[in-house]
Amino acid sequence: MAAAAAAAATKGNGGGGGRAGPSEGSGTRKKKGPGPLATAYLVIYNVVMTAGWLVIAVGLVRAYLAKGSYHSLYYSIEKPLKFFQTGALLEVLHCAIGIVPSSVVLTSFQVMSRVFLIWAVTHSVKEVQTEDSVLLFVTAWTVTEIIRYSFYTFSLLNHLPYLIKWARYTLFIVLYPMGVSGELLTIYAALPFVRQAGLYSISLPNKYNFSFDYYAFLILIMISYIPLFPQLYFHMIHQRRKVLSRSEEHKKFE
Amino acid sequence: MKHYEVEILDAKTREKLCFLDKVEPQATIAEIKNLFTKTHPQWYPARQSLRLDPKGKSLKDEDVLQKLPVGTTATLYFRDLGAQISWVTVFLTEYAGPLFIYLLFYFRVPFIYGHKYDFTSSRHSVVHLACICHSFHYVKRLLETLFVHRFSHGTMPLRNIFKNCTYYWGFAAWMAYYINHPLYTPPTYGAQQVKLALAIFVICQLGNFSIHMALRDLRPAGSKTRKIPYPTKNPFTWLFLLVSCPNYTYEVGSWIGFAIMTQCLPVALFSLVGFTQMTIWAKGKHRSYLKEFRDYPPLRMPIVPFLL
Repeated sequence: MAAAAAAAATKGNGGGGGRAGPSEGSGTRKKKGPGPLATAYLVIYNVVMTAGWLVIAVGLVRAYLAKGSYHSLYYSIEKPLKFFQTGALLEVLHCAIGIVPSSVVLTSFQVMSRVFLIWAVTHSVKEVQTEDSVLLFVTAWTVTEIIRYSFYTFSLLNHLPYLIKWARYTLFIVLYPMGVSGELLTIYAALPFVRQAGLYSISLPNKYNFSFDYYAFLILIMISYIPLFPQLYFHMIHQRRKVLSRSEEHKKFE
Repeated sequence: MKHYEVEILDAKTREKLCFLDKVEPQATIAEIKNLFTKTHPQWYPARQSLRLDPKGKSLKDEDVLQKLPVGTTATLYFRDLGAQISWVTVFLTEYAGPLFIYLLFYFRVPFIYGHKYDFTSSRHSVVHLACICHSFHYVKRLLETLFVHRFSHGTMPLRNIFKNCTYYWGFAAWMAYYINHPLYTPPTYGAQQVKLALAIFVICQLGNFSIHMALRDLRPAGSKTRKIPYPTKNPFTWLFLLVSCPNYTYEVGSWIGFAIMTQCLPVALFSLVGFTQMTIWAKGKHRSYLKEFRDYPPLRMPIVPFLL
């Protein structure tokens, strides 16, 4: 869901350009947009994020060339991955203070699902870090985020190259399933270790009469992909048709 | 007497849905909705939203045609609110669930806990007390729904019943599971803690009921009038001096009492979620009061005295 959600729902982190994400039934096209100070900040934010994910991309490539294999590349990009993906929590703040017109709930959901995978699964269950499924979702996220953040950057500057818009609304077709597969396989791989170590779990009896089974929780998370992923995926497909056909129309009049 | 003509257009597509001629000037929106239902029976009045502007606010059922800013040919925009269900039905369903579900856990009906515990009874007195309190709370709510509350709206969207029941029933099951569990741990400070908690619970239940009665007395049967609520001779209603929605204040208080009584984290979480939702409602109600009444008492806060 992290891969799917991130590319789908946000209209955010920038104005202008094609708007992905749930339109709020606005008939009047009154785009207030962020003020000049907010815009400057957002441009900087999006540039920094684009750069960050490029660092991760380059790190992956270099590690692959150095090692000669694509196994266990996680370790070479672990720190920037954690830093930049966690940094995306700021996007929730952007929505909350209104400089980005996306829904706080939707943005929280997608950032939290990414952060969950990074910290509560991959970081927490060390045995999983050598799995190839990790590379699968990291690659999907990296390509998605580089495109997404540069899309926002250009949109804010009102200079969106068609290529970026096209990439954002087309590559997801492959990147989503790729990311979702990587995520699910990673969670699945973590299960036995969670069970064995009783990770993040608490059982009865205890003072606060509470119990939590992280293993069962992870299974529920996996199941939740079944209704959620198709919804997000088809939403993006729908957005693609809307956005790219509109662009075709504009091109005709140039 | 000049008759009006009313045309009803779809708010989204602007399609002409209905044309009513010879409408009385004193006709109310409710009457117009009834006329509209005749030509479109699938849209019963409760699911109609009629407004003067496609994006504007819904007109009220009591609004009179003559008093609206329209010419003798009025254009109204229609929006389908979706299938509706009565508030009473929703309340009864969402409250009956927890009452029944909690008892399933209390009596340790098979397949919940291990088979050796089927139909056994907890050895902790607080568990029995908790069952009484929880059951009392929901019986009170059911009775209030049937005999006390006077609802402003008859209906709400159908999907709400699924949402609401999931919330109430889900949390009830979650709490009941732990409180009635064979491995339940009674409160750390024992009988003292339970006594204090029970006092809080009882006071807040009485308070909540007092407020419901006071609100009921503000509004005559069958009417939809709104008035500023004021403290009455009942000391529990004196909380009106400090908050707009003391019923919510007392409700949160009851659940805090229950949480202390059972020393159960899921109960505390339920209280927190409930508090969050009630705060949102209280703030909304407070804002409506301020908008509607110029002379609204300035000392009052929405839900927590002086703070929130």
